[in-house]
Amino acid sequence: MRVRVKIRRFNPEQDRRPYWATYTVDAEPTDRVLDLLVQIKSYQDGTLTFRRSCAHGVCGSDAVVINGRNRLACKELVQDVGRSIQIEALRGLPVIKDLVVDMEPFFRQYRSILPFLINDEPAPYDERLQSPEARARYDDTTKCILCAACTTSCPSYWASSDYVGPAAIVQAHRFIFDDRDRGAQARLAILAEGTGVWRCHTIYNCTEACPRGIQVTQAIGEVKKAITTGEIR
Amino acid sequence: MSKIARVSLPNAVAYRGGQPMIAWLLHRISAIGIVVFVSMHIWAAFFLYAVAGTTGGVAEALTEFYEALPMQVFVLFCILYHAINGLRIVILDMWPSLYRYNREAMWVQWAIFLPLFLLPAALMILGGS
Ligand code: FES
Repeated sequence: MRVRVKIRRFNPEQDRRPYWATYTVDAEPTDRVLDLLVQIKSYQDGTLTFRRSCAHGVCGSDAVVINGRNRLACKELVQDVGRSIQIEALRGLPVIKDLVVDMEPFFRQYRSILPFLINDEPAPYDERLQSPEARARYDDTTKCILCAACTTSCPSYWASSDYVGPAAIVQAHRFIFDDRDRGAQARLAILAEGTGVWRCHTIYNCTEACPRGIQVTQAIGEVKKAITTGEIR
Repeated sequence: MSKIARVSLPNAVAYRGGQPMIAWLLHRISAIGIVVFVSMHIWAAFFLYAVAGTTGGVAEALTEFYEALPMQVFVLFCILYHAINGLRIVILDMWPSLYRYNREAMWVQWAIFLPLFLLPAALMILGGS
C-alpha cells in the first residue's frame, strides 16, 4: 500500500521556522512507522534526522508525535495509524533537528529525584532480600524506559518545563515504594515542592502515551497521597 | 539551537489526548465561566449601590446580560460540570487504586451530569418562552 508521510522538519542552521515535508512511501500494513522513516532517509532524503537505537521498544530513543499522539515509532504499525501519517518532534523539549529533541532538560529532572537505591545499612553478604509481595508493590513503575513520551504529553509540562514531569515521578515512585530503600522522605520532600507532583492535574495524557502501559497517573496519585498522609503503603 | 521549547496554544490543543484531557479543558473553561459570572454580579451590585444615581445604567445592563437565558444555562453548565468533575478527581485522589478505572469513572460522571443539567436546562428554556 502507498502511504503518505508528513513530517515536521526543522534545521536550526537553515530554517527560520519548522515546515511540513510530504513523502510517499510503499509500505506493508505490518511495517512500523520507524520502517517508513528509515526508508525515506535511505532512498528519498538523506537529510531527514531522527533517533533510534534498538528498534524494538526497549531503549526509548524514538518517541515522536504520530498523528497527534506520543508514540514509539518502532512500536506503531502502519495498519493501526492509516495511510496518512503525520510525524512531529516531541512537544516541550528544544528541537535539535527534525525529529531529534534535546533530552537534557528531561534527564536533569530525572536526576533531581535521586533515581538510585539509598540505603546506608550494611549490606548482607549475598543480597538484600525482598518478598515477592514487596517487589510487586512497585512493579509497574520498574517498566519505564525513559522515552519522555509521558512527560512531553503533559499540558502542565508544556506550560512550564520547571515541572519535574510524569517520568521523573514514575522513577521516584519506583524507589519510594521499594522497601529496601531508605530515601523515600528525601524524594517526597523534593516532589512536595512547587515544581513537584502538585502540578499534575489528572489529565491522563501520560498514561495514554506510555508505550509500556504504565499507570502513570496512578503512580503520581500514590505519591501525592504519600505526601499528604505521610504514609508509604 | 533553540533553548526555550514553548508550546503554543494551537499546538497544545492539537494534541489528541482523549476524554480526560477534554474533561480537564472543560474544567478550566467552566472555572473561568464561574469567575466571570460572579464578578459581574459583584460589579453590578457595586455600580448600583456604591455610585448610586450616576451609573445605574451600567448595573442594569450587566444584570440584564447575566440574567438572560443563554447566560443562565451556561452558568448552570459551568457550576454542575465543575462540581461533578471536581468530585471525580477528589475521589481518585483519596483512593489512588481507582485511578486505573478512570474510563468507568467518566461514564458515571456523564450519567450523573447529563440528567442534572439537561432537565433544569429544558425547564428553563421551555418555561422561559
Ligand atoms: S528504537 Fe528503541 S524504543 Fe524505539
